[in-house]
Amino acid sequence: MAREITYIAAIMEGIHQEMSRDEDVLLIGQSVGGSPEDPFVAAFGPDRVRVTPISETAEIGMAAGAALAGKRPVVDCTMAEFLLVAMDQVVNEANRFHYMSGGRVTAPLVLKAGYGFTAGWAGQHTGSIYGMFMGVPGLKVALPSTPADAKGLMATAIRDDNPVLFLHHYLLTLETGDVPEGEHLVPFGQAAIVRPGTDVTLVATGWTVHRALEAAEELAADGVSVEVIDPRTIAPLDVDTVLASVERTGRLVLVDQATRHASVSAIIAAEVAEAGFASLRAPIVQVTALDAPIAYSKPMEDFVLPDVAKIVAGVRRAVDVTLPHDAATAVR
Amino acid sequence: MSTNSQDRVEMFRTMVRIREFEERVKRTFAEHPGVIRGHTHLADGAEASIVGSIAAIRPGDQVMATYRCHGYPIALGTDTTAMLAEIYGRSNGLCGGYGGSMHLADPERGFLGTSGIVGQSIPQATGAAYAAQIRRAGDVVLCFFGDGASKQGAFHESLNIASLWKLPIVFVMENNSYSVSVRVEQEDANAAAGEPLATKAKAYSMPGVTIDGGDPDVVYETVAEAVSRARAGEGPTLVESLVYRLSAHGNSIAPPGVPLHYPEHEAVTVFGDVAEYEAAKRGDPVPRFRGALVTGGVLDAARADAIVAEAADEMQRAVDGALAGPEPEPADALRFVHA
Amino acid sequence: MTASVHRDVSTAAPTPDVLRDLLTTMWRIRAFEERVGALKRADEVHGLIHLSIGGEGVAAAVCRQLRDGDAVYSGHRAHGHAVAKGTPLDRTMAELMGREGGLCSGMGGSMHLVDVAHGFLGATGVVGGNIPLALGSALAAKQRGTDAVAVVFFGDGAVQAGLFTESVNLATLWRLPVLLVCENNGFAEFTPRSAHTTVERVSDVVAPYPLPRTTVDGNEVGEVWSAFSELLARARAGEGPALLECLTHRLRGHYEGDPDRYREAVSTEDWQRKDPILRLQRAGHDAGWLAADEPAALEAAARAEVDEAVAWARSSPFPAVARAAALVESGGAR
Repeated sequence: MAREITYIAAIMEGIHQEMSRDEDVLLIGQSVGGSPEDPFVAAFGPDRVRVTPISETAEIGMAAGAALAGKRPVVDCTMAEFLLVAMDQVVNEANRFHYMSGGRVTAPLVLKAGYGFTAGWAGQHTGSIYGMFMGVPGLKVALPSTPADAKGLMATAIRDDNPVLFLHHYLLTLETGDVPEGEHLVPFGQAAIVRPGTDVTLVATGWTVHRALEAAEELAADGVSVEVIDPRTIAPLDVDTVLASVERTGRLVLVDQATRHASVSAIIAAEVAEAGFASLRAPIVQVTALDAPIAYSKPMEDFVLPDVAKIVAGVRRAVDVTLPHDAATAVR
Repeated sequence: MSTNSQDRVEMFRTMVRIREFEERVKRTFAEHPGVIRGHTHLADGAEASIVGSIAAIRPGDQVMATYRCHGYPIALGTDTTAMLAEIYGRSNGLCGGYGGSMHLADPERGFLGTSGIVGQSIPQATGAAYAAQIRRAGDVVLCFFGDGASKQGAFHESLNIASLWKLPIVFVMENNSYSVSVRVEQEDANAAAGEPLATKAKAYSMPGVTIDGGDPDVVYETVAEAVSRARAGEGPTLVESLVYRLSAHGNSIAPPGVPLHYPEHEAVTVFGDVAEYEAAKRGDPVPRFRGALVTGGVLDAARADAIVAEAADEMQRAVDGALAGPEPEPADALRFVHA
Repeated sequence: MTASVHRDVSTAAPTPDVLRDLLTTMWRIRAFEERVGALKRADEVHGLIHLSIGGEGVAAAVCRQLRDGDAVYSGHRAHGHAVAKGTPLDRTMAELMGREGGLCSGMGGSMHLVDVAHGFLGATGVVGGNIPLALGSALAAKQRGTDAVAVVFFGDGAVQAGLFTESVNLATLWRLPVLLVCENNGFAEFTPRSAHTTVERVSDVVAPYPLPRTTVDGNEVGEVWSAFSELLARARAGEGPALLECLTHRLRGHYEGDPDRYREAVSTEDWQRKDPILRLQRAGHDAGWLAADEPAALEAAARAEVDEAVAWARSSPFPAVARAAALVESGGAR
């Protein structure tokens, strides 16, 4: 049975259900378990739910150590930028233990953090900084765009034996959607085709998935059929689903809230250029944030971010060009 | 708390085995050039501290340490051939050649692993202690690190939480007076003021003690007391164990093709202080403990010699076994990226 | 800067003139912050806003003893420190309203105020991130051979972050002219200090390190002034860093809109007793340096000044959007 709940409630439900299922799952962080009335403390007790000081290195390092010792900690890191305070622990410790021990130990932990809060939080709390994590070996990265995926990806993240960075988009916090009750798992590395189409493939993540869908609706009125794909996890990244779609549509537009040169879109563009060149009937178009921090003042904030109009314009650029098939097939 | 004669002889044996192991690592650079790659860090000089500390724990307890990590697994019973094969990058190595000298792990014996980055294993050990606390089996974690790590934020954050949560952990700071080539008073406000580094424990409402890390009996007694305090749920202790590293920080650092070797200690190469180093050699904890045992009638010289000979034989077998070990399959580099 | 300036460094208790100046500054901060709260509710100020109502005494007593050449760093709760250090109200308000005329042309907002001319080197949005920055300013001042100092404001929550001890160790070791001013309001974001550490007093966290440390009642302005002036004189004389812990109370929640369910509410009566402005006024009346009608006049003047600042800010346009991408790198090089 599904019912409508918010994105953030879905995430917390995912954590709650996994904590009920497996007593090794812990929840720690600066904004959890601060009082006895906290629902997680009430349900699971202070052994498994603990508020921490503002000590990011210790929080994440302790999660790694507890994981090595058999626990499965979830660390609520609040905002993605706070991970940067503890960068060594995020990208150079837990993710390497399994490998460097030749498989003798595992470090199953989840780092939950919000990102992309482009609502006047200025340059240190608004970034879409997953680009600096997605290429780190041993670290998985999930970017849910819907409440159902948020719950399902969280549950999968907790059950995964590896460190997982679970990045939830702040602008989606109170968005609602149908979420299955009970156990709900969304596999990693499996993109979702959230709207089928035939003319253009549009790939987007997080909050931009919804902007891409709005753009697709607008373009449909003009007779352009857009297929919208959400990778859902960017490490592992499901390139195959994108390649298969491009094979059908011949056109690829990539939307990303990250700065252009640290984006998922740049990686997908490179993969498709290498493995899907013969399918392309137009140059790949990237609609990303500009390579700038996020300014405080709203007009400037809007200026650097992708929006529906920019996506529509990007799709039009892609459909306005048709390369001769001969050029592409020559390299097959 | 004290150790009986048999325990003290076993402590001596383990100290000798660690020393012999480290000597063979060092000799490998000359005898088998190219076999060891990258960087190694030796425990010679810290044997008494390592052995005295680990004698104070029991099966089920856990240990985390730094990249200077050869001594602890030996004291915990890890096979020395597997350890040396790991340092030689062989597939029969303890970690299959994936980790090398700085990343030994033997979880079955409680050695959860290390970090190659200064100070970063301190929060990890603290996390293992959190797991031990809520497992409620009375297990304790020993966390080893150097004096340099106490200037890392990770130290401050972890000791605060360990004290706040009364975690069953003992922080053993091996103060060897050098962070690579920087003397402790050049980088530590307490050392510069002539104070022991254990003073730092004051900030965490935690006992802090400074001991002679060259005497395994003293180390054992101190750590055993801290361990029993931790086991009883009374929280962590900071033990500053004064040691002197008898080798340089690590082997020379050079691009591929340039033979690697062990330079002289930084006291000599950086500070020209030959007298300091010679004094440290005279205080070498291995002959010192042997002397104490022989003088005290616990061990006769012939048996002590036999222990040294046995250790030498064991390490020769380790070298032979490690050299005979096969190189890993190249494509195995893609295994274990994910669990 | 409209208020008169008294910058004599004296370890004696502040004179009536100094106290009146501090009271003026405190009213300017109070009026400014109350207006920011109202503008936030009216959506003229957006984003995350942390107000310093209740903390005016510390900001005024510390910053009014500094010069433009001294560097001040603040954190996410920065408005009061900036105003006390002399940032103009109109441009400060314009920044919070995202306008072109703002201190940072609308690029930074509440958590990223910077005014180099007045020695307000800046606010940072990540807890504790400003502490090592202040050490850098102090190092530069020392190397230039001046007697300038750096002052960094932070909350008790920052003290559990690793960079706090890293900074205390280095500042002490290098005898840097840096003053660490901790506003201990008993809460790190949403949780009480007891959930963060066993050490109640921040000054005890630096107990292992050989530097002077003092804890004062942050709502008692004269006490803050005297304690800080003594530590400041030492730092200017090259005697190194110090920590001043000011026990304060955050009258508002952690941020504007915070439902604030994690704290015991302060009763109005209790707050009347603690409020640093009311306390100073009572002391002024008792000591005879403050006439009965002066507080109302000071408040009215401050509110009028804030009215003007808001009007000025409203008249400033929103920035040209292309600047968002144009300022990413400095064009300079050496």
